[in-house]
Amino acid sequence: MTAKGGVQYSKIAEIKGPLVVVDDVENAAFDELVEIETKEGERRLGKVLEVGNGKAIVQVFEGTTGLSISGTSAKFVGKLMEMPVSKEVLGRVFDGLGRPKDGLPDPIADKFIDINGEPMNPEQREYPKDFIQTGVSVIDGMITLVRGQKLPIFSGSGMSHNILAAQIARQANVVGTKDDFAVVFAAIGVQYSEAEYFRRSLEESGALKRSVLFLNTADDPAIERIITPRVALTVAEYLAFDLGMHVLVILTDMTNYAEALREISAAREEVPGRKGYPGYLYTDLSTIYERAGKLNGRKGSVTQVPILSMPSDDITHPIPDLTGYITEGQVVLGRDLFRQGVYPPINILMSLSRLMKDGIGAGSTREDHSEVSNQVYDAYSRAQEVRALAGIVGKAGLTEIDLKYMDVGDVFEKEFLTQATDENRTIEETLNLLWKIVSKLPKNEITKIKDKYVDQYYQEN
Amino acid sequence: MDKRHSLVSNSALEHTIDKILNQTEKNILSNIQSALSESQKTLDNAIPKLEQEYDKVISDGKKEADKIEKQIVGSSDLEARNKQLLALEEAIDKVFTKAIDQISNMAHSGDYSNLIKTLLDESTKILGTTKVIIYTNSKDKNVVQSLLSKYPGAEISSETIDCLGGITVKSKEGAMKFDNTLDARIQRLKPLIRKEIATKFGVGN
Amino acid sequence: MAAQGRIVWVSGPAVKADGMSDAKMYETVVVGNSKLVGEVIRLTGDVAFIQVYESTSGLKPGEPVVGTGNPLSVLLGPGIIGQIYDGIQRPLKELSKASGSFIGRGITTTPVDMIKKYHFVPTVSNGDTVAAGNIIGTVQETDLIVHSIMVPPDHLGGKISNIVSEGDYNLETVLATTEKDGEKIPLKMYHRWPVRKPRPYKNRYDPTVPLLTGQRVIDTFFPIAKGGTGSIPGAFGTGKTVTLHQIAKWADSQVVVYIGCGERGNEMTEVLVEFPHLKDPRSGKPLMDRTVLVANTSNMPVAAREASIYTGVTIAEYYRDMGYDVVLVADSTSRWAESLREMSGRLEEMPAEEGYPSYLASRLAEFYERAGRVRATGSPDRDGSVTLVGAVSPSGGDFTEPVTTHTMRFIKTFWALDAKLAYSRHYPSINWMNSYSGYLGDIAKWWGENINSDWLSLRSEAYGVLQREDTLKEIVRLLGPEALPDEEKIILEVARMLKIGLLQQNSFDDVDTYCSPQKQYKLLKLLVEFYRRGQQALKEGASLADIRAMPIVSTLLKARMDIKDNEMPKLDQLDIDMKEQFKSIIGVKVSS
Repeated sequence: MTAKGGVQYSKIAEIKGPLVVVDDVENAAFDELVEIETKEGERRLGKVLEVGNGKAIVQVFEGTTGLSISGTSAKFVGKLMEMPVSKEVLGRVFDGLGRPKDGLPDPIADKFIDINGEPMNPEQREYPKDFIQTGVSVIDGMITLVRGQKLPIFSGSGMSHNILAAQIARQANVVGTKDDFAVVFAAIGVQYSEAEYFRRSLEESGALKRSVLFLNTADDPAIERIITPRVALTVAEYLAFDLGMHVLVILTDMTNYAEALREISAAREEVPGRKGYPGYLYTDLSTIYERAGKLNGRKGSVTQVPILSMPSDDITHPIPDLTGYITEGQVVLGRDLFRQGVYPPINILMSLSRLMKDGIGAGSTREDHSEVSNQVYDAYSRAQEVRALAGIVGKAGLTEIDLKYMDVGDVFEKEFLTQATDENRTIEETLNLLWKIVSKLPKNEITKIKDKYVDQYYQEN
Repeated sequence: MDKRHSLVSNSALEHTIDKILNQTEKNILSNIQSALSESQKTLDNAIPKLEQEYDKVISDGKKEADKIEKQIVGSSDLEARNKQLLALEEAIDKVFTKAIDQISNMAHSGDYSNLIKTLLDESTKILGTTKVIIYTNSKDKNVVQSLLSKYPGAEISSETIDCLGGITVKSKEGAMKFDNTLDARIQRLKPLIRKEIATKFGVGN
Repeated sequence: MAAQGRIVWVSGPAVKADGMSDAKMYETVVVGNSKLVGEVIRLTGDVAFIQVYESTSGLKPGEPVVGTGNPLSVLLGPGIIGQIYDGIQRPLKELSKASGSFIGRGITTTPVDMIKKYHFVPTVSNGDTVAAGNIIGTVQETDLIVHSIMVPPDHLGGKISNIVSEGDYNLETVLATTEKDGEKIPLKMYHRWPVRKPRPYKNRYDPTVPLLTGQRVIDTFFPIAKGGTGSIPGAFGTGKTVTLHQIAKWADSQVVVYIGCGERGNEMTEVLVEFPHLKDPRSGKPLMDRTVLVANTSNMPVAAREASIYTGVTIAEYYRDMGYDVVLVADSTSRWAESLREMSGRLEEMPAEEGYPSYLASRLAEFYERAGRVRATGSPDRDGSVTLVGAVSPSGGDFTEPVTTHTMRFIKTFWALDAKLAYSRHYPSINWMNSYSGYLGDIAKWWGENINSDWLSLRSEAYGVLQREDTLKEIVRLLGPEALPDEEKIILEVARMLKIGLLQQNSFDDVDTYCSPQKQYKLLKLLVEFYRRGQQALKEGASLADIRAMPIVSTLLKARMDIKDNEMPKLDQLDIDMKEQFKSIIGVKVSS
């Protein structure tokens, strides 16, 4: 915070897309915060993308609609964009740039933090391994989430990702601990109703007072979306690493974020990578997703559940593709299951939690967890093959063992996967259901579980 | 960026307001202290009063909150907290209004002239030229006029601007403008001042 | 005369400075008031184009740029093993002392502890003549690594004088002085070497010794040789990182350099947490005692990511020169290529495919060319190797994209990861139809001499079954399995057993994570024997159902997990059991 302001420059050379090019600029820094003032005295925020040779290229978060060459001025504020943070941000609602949207005053800042954050030193990270019980069987049993993980939900238009994310936010806890828990929710270009659904869900569960909401809805400026996840994560990091809370961050929908990035890249006439997205999309996304984690010697954690809708349900589209390369697994929703009315419609074969192996087992969930879940993966995958085969040769052409796998598929989907939106299952219930599935198979088909666990848990029919 | 921070932290007004809130640092920047001592006194009086008011609002809020708590368990804390925030903000606004009142009524004596000089020095340095047009309010015009000879090429605009005090300078071709009015400076310092006031009230961090 | 210029333009990691006519290409420069590290990558007139290895937020035109006169170099000396560095060899532990949990900027550190004392044992005497590459003495760096102190490769050589006696010295101690043509040069425990310049060697050998990784699908089916090159491309979620970690853990090299190049922070943390507790299967010492990490995660500055590959390979060559077998694992070369693309874009170069610069292929070739098994320069004679394994992260899992296609031109082992296998939890998800190894013929001799002479033929027979299955699967897909005669159905059955019992390997299982070559051979042999006996049994009238119902089937499938490396007789017993069981099903048929 400075008392001295910046110089206001009024020689605007060019306005294109979300960019304003300012001429005769003497004293601007890369990444610096800029206040654009319109002829009418309206103020908008932006930042410096490029500076040099007397020119500064400024990206205007609230868009350039209504700006004119004459009468517009740009003030270089002399600092990077910062978010004021304090414990009092809990229970508050902000807009996509971090300004109050709930009629309450600006938070009285404990600190002002650069919203871009700094990369965590990998040497200082603590490897995440605390099992989070979400109460959603398929996640707890097969795609286990741990504290400090970044585990996205890959969805498609119209599917139930928000219901699932809200259920996770309501139910998530680490069994046997009473640590402070907080939810940071960032709506990035989603419909108002979706954001409102989330807010209500938090309110009804009494969790709103330990939540912070950042809302950039579909009718808000698109370029603002570049900032929304960053202010949200700045607050999350503060809550986690300064105040020692365990923070679950939900970012929805990252596809809208990437589209805003593409818009800026196109306006800068950069050489595009795949599908018109900038070549640095991977690096840029990583500066968001890598802000999840735990740190040595600090109590809190930042866990991210970003949601993105895959354009045309295509998982090879650059946005899910590059996300999957950065995040620690993915939860993929399946259109077929969704059409059949299954909730949560998770395509387990395409889903994965990379940090699961260290979060489960004796001491956190149960010693047989890893093996029984491997066996169910294997069995469900076989079930899918058998179903495909049955489509060709008919059920009559199947062997006896094939029919058992068909059975596995049905039990898996109807009893294990399917769950009510307010149903909170314990990990024991989840594991027992997994054994129920495995027990549909004769023992000699069980190749991934040690005999001692089979002896202990196999449910004889 | 850091460079700028250090430059700015010396700025006269910032320290003044700092001192309004922290009597212990009385001796820093004595040149403008006297100019603002009046407002300081007012503030010192205002704060205990505001504290009482604040306490009252808080306790009222608590009572009401208790009521709500019985009705809606989940969000009562939040509502009470939000009432607190509003009450605090009201208190802060009062402190601000008083401070601004004091500043606008203070005598434009010798010390004030020093303040304006500091502002002029800073502004011309930042624009990199003394060939500037200076805008002031009608009250400060004479103060600026008396200093003008020290800035070769500088002129005072015939237009006056509406502000508490201080100056705005523009480069002669009009491409650069630097707003160094007291209003602008207070506005920029507001987040820090708010925090200080909140701390005085024993809330915030 | 070091260049002294002034910033004129900033855009992300790219900075232009004027007044730089004294700067050299690839010279390291200090940028701005915050003293950020950068490297000159283009010179036009007196304007230098600089890639900055740290975040440039807040950097302004007008701030100074100062040349150092030196190209980007690494410090080579004892203390490197066990470290975790960023892309330009700054130890992350030291950075955290300066800036806490998050990485700050403008921090200067030394790559190793310059004050730490090592016990130096001289191997030359005063009056000896030494040349570049000669060993003048050794220090014990870790329990596993005897660190040879070598005359730097660019040294003129000369006559040794003032050599210190055996004792404890730190890195800055002058250990000896060389004298040639009146020029005296001090020798210390360390020297510096520019990262973009391969270290010289005397001559190169054909790679004929396998690098044993303990991973069956690699060692048995698609082996890589010491000094060879391999690439592991795969879409996300196919288990690239796990496979690379497995290689880093279990490969029978003496030194491992692991480069996390634009990848996840937690993956580096995992190595840091896990490796000190894992024991090298051969020496029983902690794996960290032979490992160096270079971590430039995806959210760390992109230019340093470009440099990290070179930093890593130069360190690898240095240990090679001491006579060690070194494995370098780079995860992921695609992110490295992207950093090239980003800088190229900012330089406004004409892009080739998908925006990558036209020199992508030549840079990849240069990198993989630094692999090899060599006779090091200098005396005494020593042979070492650098094996390069690069991950590729093809966008959308599409192997026709530029980084994958160019990489394939320069590597000899290709482990193609397959999303379909991963989705069905077949790990490692190395697709046996799309992968290949160009070293099979070269290293077969080693297996023949050290394990068993029929290794290659067993491997071919097993691979033949997998190939047959691949064609038969098409028929099954169309007509169902019942359309096949038993002679072909057994191929499907054996292929299934090969997949579950041999190709699949559970890296999280204590026993299965590492498989010795002896055990690999025996498992292979058992399964091939099963196939041979099964065919025979069918001919002799047994039914496929009888074969499937034999208890040995599920025993064979679990043998990889149930039988430990030191329990080889148990595997021999399985062969006897199998023979008995086949006999009994044929017997049943005959008697009935």
